[in-house]
Amino acid sequence: MNRLIRIGASASAVLLCFAGSVRADEAATKEIAEVNKKIVKVWGSGGLHGLPGFGTGFLISGDGYILTADAQLLDTRDLRVHLWDGTKYHAEVIAQEPELDVALIKIKPASDADKIEDLPHFDLEETAKRPPVDVGTEVLAFSNCFEIATRNDPVSVQHAYVTAFAKLQGRNGFYEMPYNGKVYMVDAVTNNPGAAGGALTTRKGELIGMIGRGLRNELTGTWMNYSIPINAAAEVTQPDGKVVKTSIVDVWLQKEKYIKANANGQQTKPGRTFDRILRETTGIVLVADPVDITPPYIDDVVPGSPAAQAGMRSDDLIVYVGGVSVKTVDDYKQMMFHYPPGQKVQLELRRGDTLMTVELTLAKLAERK
Amino acid sequence: MSIRPALRRLWPAFLGAVGFAALFTPARGLDVDPRLQKDEQDRIALIEKIKAPVLAVLAPGGQGGGSGEIITEDGYAVTNFHVAAAVGSLFHCGMANGEMYDAVLVGLDRPGDLCLIKLIQKPNQTIKFPTVAIGDSDQVKPGDMTVALGNPLLLATDFNPTATFGMVSGVHRYQKIPHPTGTLLEYCDCIQVDTAINPGNSGGPLFNMKGEWIGINSAGSLGKSDRINSGAAYAISVNMVKNFLGHLRAGLECDHATLGAEIDPENEDGGLGRLVVGRMLSGSEVDRRGLAPGDVVTHFGGVLMTNLNQFKNRLGIYPKGWRVPMTFRHDVTEVHDVLVRLPGRTADVLPDKNPQPGAPPEGAPADEDSGPPPLPPPPPNTDAAKLFVAKPGFANYYFNKLERDALIDSFHRQGDFTAFQGPWSLRGDCTIAKKPTSAEVAVRPPSKDQKDDLILGTVDGTAYKIDPLDTATTLKDLMDPPDSGGMLLALYQYRQLMTQGEKGFIGQLSHGGVEPFYPPSVVGSPPDYRKRVMCDVLRTKQAGVATKWYFRRADQDKWYMPQAPTGELIGFEVSPDHDEDPCEVYLADYAQQNGGSVPGRIEVVCKGKTYAVMTNVKFTMEK
Repeated sequence: MNRLIRIGASASAVLLCFAGSVRADEAATKEIAEVNKKIVKVWGSGGLHGLPGFGTGFLISGDGYILTADAQLLDTRDLRVHLWDGTKYHAEVIAQEPELDVALIKIKPASDADKIEDLPHFDLEETAKRPPVDVGTEVLAFSNCFEIATRNDPVSVQHAYVTAFAKLQGRNGFYEMPYNGKVYMVDAVTNNPGAAGGALTTRKGELIGMIGRGLRNELTGTWMNYSIPINAAAEVTQPDGKVVKTSIVDVWLQKEKYIKANANGQQTKPGRTFDRILRETTGIVLVADPVDITPPYIDDVVPGSPAAQAGMRSDDLIVYVGGVSVKTVDDYKQMMFHYPPGQKVQLELRRGDTLMTVELTLAKLAERK
Repeated sequence: MSIRPALRRLWPAFLGAVGFAALFTPARGLDVDPRLQKDEQDRIALIEKIKAPVLAVLAPGGQGGGSGEIITEDGYAVTNFHVAAAVGSLFHCGMANGEMYDAVLVGLDRPGDLCLIKLIQKPNQTIKFPTVAIGDSDQVKPGDMTVALGNPLLLATDFNPTATFGMVSGVHRYQKIPHPTGTLLEYCDCIQVDTAINPGNSGGPLFNMKGEWIGINSAGSLGKSDRINSGAAYAISVNMVKNFLGHLRAGLECDHATLGAEIDPENEDGGLGRLVVGRMLSGSEVDRRGLAPGDVVTHFGGVLMTNLNQFKNRLGIYPKGWRVPMTFRHDVTEVHDVLVRLPGRTADVLPDKNPQPGAPPEGAPADEDSGPPPLPPPPPNTDAAKLFVAKPGFANYYFNKLERDALIDSFHRQGDFTAFQGPWSLRGDCTIAKKPTSAEVAVRPPSKDQKDDLILGTVDGTAYKIDPLDTATTLKDLMDPPDSGGMLLALYQYRQLMTQGEKGFIGQLSHGGVEPFYPPSVVGSPPDYRKRVMCDVLRTKQAGVATKWYFRRADQDKWYMPQAPTGELIGFEVSPDHDEDPCEVYLADYAQQNGGSVPGRIEVVCKGKTYAVMTNVKFTMEK
């Protein structure tokens, strides 16, 4: 598997220029305070094995729609957000667009009487009208990196210059980096744990991008600091094989489609969430996990899959993954995150009164067009 | 798909070419915006202006090191505790001009990761050291640009500091990091920056763009690339440093404050975070001030509290023992404004209610002899070794004795009564419970009829007789008259200080650093928290009774800066019982009597209530 990150960049994109001549001696304190009101701290699944259980998002409507990164964080029924003023809400996932690495979530009011309106937010349609910023532009990155802030603590803000506007192709663990459009590269360390889903803005506080997840260059060991432009389009393969161009703005504009699909219990497209990848590479279908402490019982095994070949059956209980005890479905997922497709993993199962060890060779992911 | 602006490919390409030229032929300079050129020149000038007091701190032998900054012309400098922990008590300090000086450990604040050191002048040469301009970290806002100077990766062999620029990412941050020595380093109310901070920057200064010192670069979030800059670094705010400077200069081993009550983590249902009081430490001062489980803390240290991080921040910037205003709500409707003496985090455990035989007597604060193991002393035969005295409870007792003696000397300059070893008394008009009456208190020194000092008093028509040194004297007797908290004992302690000096306090006599003092503004009204007076503190212990003496500092605006003591005693607190409120004595209306300055007005307060106000006080002393 190619785990290199390639930065394909046209000559125009990597050259430095002094397009932005905003002086650094006037602090953007006011703009920072305004943007901070539009940023939310997100808490969800994770917290084990180096996967942060926290992230960042930003409000794009007065009634509580939030854009964030399409990360494992969202794989929970207990998704929570903290607004700038410390108000705490539960949130639900409205739409996930893995190809853009973006998700749309919405605040759930605490009660019917709780009207959510007039929240400070970015105007996404206004954002869409702006051209991409130039290389050399001074930008600000807002995120809850390292979970430094809680409740009404302001999020962290970093200062950077755009160093490139270029295509990014990368892979992270055995997640494909699905987004294949251009990204803003910056010269500050913005993509820290918990920063994904944060906002990249101009010095005036105008939204231009969403901070991406951590991507490491296997060759140099360095981490990429990039943001996905709000209005730059990426090529996305539709379920019917058709390739269309879409952007983060489109996800917002077409949210009705997602909401309707979700209401009918179906997804609009087979997004490659970690759960789906795990099912595809193992062939293991676990029992539904309505509570956080559900033990990882196998519900079904896909015929011909690695799990079937290893002799696994329904009603087996997975007790160890690679020698590490897993007590819940969540533990199991966290551990499996460390085994990329194509690798071998040793599982210990309890079947009735006996313990048995099986070795699973994870299937490679089907090539995506 | 509908909104997809055309990418402007050509335009950036053109600008790019211009930038390329500018980047590689800077000599031409013509293509660069003059404002950018000026910015660059300003930055260069700024670094030149501020770099002189920046230190490269090195361990003897060259193993490890960090950074530091000089704060006084006589060579006091600060760095991190975790730098000192790696270096010891003797430091080699390289200045930006290439000069190398030795320095000795003065004071330590382990939980706050602070260390004060003093540069040692070279033989036959006394220079004025360059100093940092001390700023106000409460004025720092996210978005402010900063410059960090220091010695990252120990790069500079000529000690010329490395400069990195960056922005403030957040203020009032709370971070904690366990240190291998077992201390939990807590960075309270710290400044978060994206300025590149790397190993070796520790202890060095963070400046604002005016060149004012606003913080000490100390830690960074552990990014994915080991300890190298992760874009989130933390500087101890200089305002916290100010709170500890007086303690550090007195050679103390400092402790940070706690509340004596637990604050429950945020409530899980929506809305703003409220600070709900959970378990209480019984016998703590907050307990005595009426705080109860379920109460909500709304203000602390004069700041509105809306989340737990904020509270931990505010609490963590105070040294143990400081008195801080606090507001809480009881039963939602009752609002209480109180002043609380904050207990320490580590050593201030509650005394055992049923002491074991051989255990220290009740009332003895559980500090001094406990605490972390000291840093290794400087090697013998060094200049630093002459300025170092090890003693439990102190980072370097040499400096405590230095400050303590200067403080006592300044007090005796106001009036030296050490010649008056005979009977001593004071009397005056007195108001108790708004009723005019009289009071007279006398101390009779040992004679052929009596073995010990004897306190004789007549207060509001009742006569008292206390032998403060007799073990048979009960705690209740020591706290006479009732409701005064121990006024007779307090005035006896005052006589010890006036007439006995050092030999009057065999138990303890040390400098206690700098603390706020709250004089009662008007008789009977609560103290005005805004009118705090910053004081040098002398701590004494005699006959098992601990007393804190408060001497007004000369410069109340720059109260945190080292300054000559005034010797002006404005009050003291006597604690016969460690578990109860002390007897507070406020002194005012000083006038000349017996060849020295003595107070004409004495107010005695206990449990926040005035017990007695004495006016027209006359002292009688015999040689």
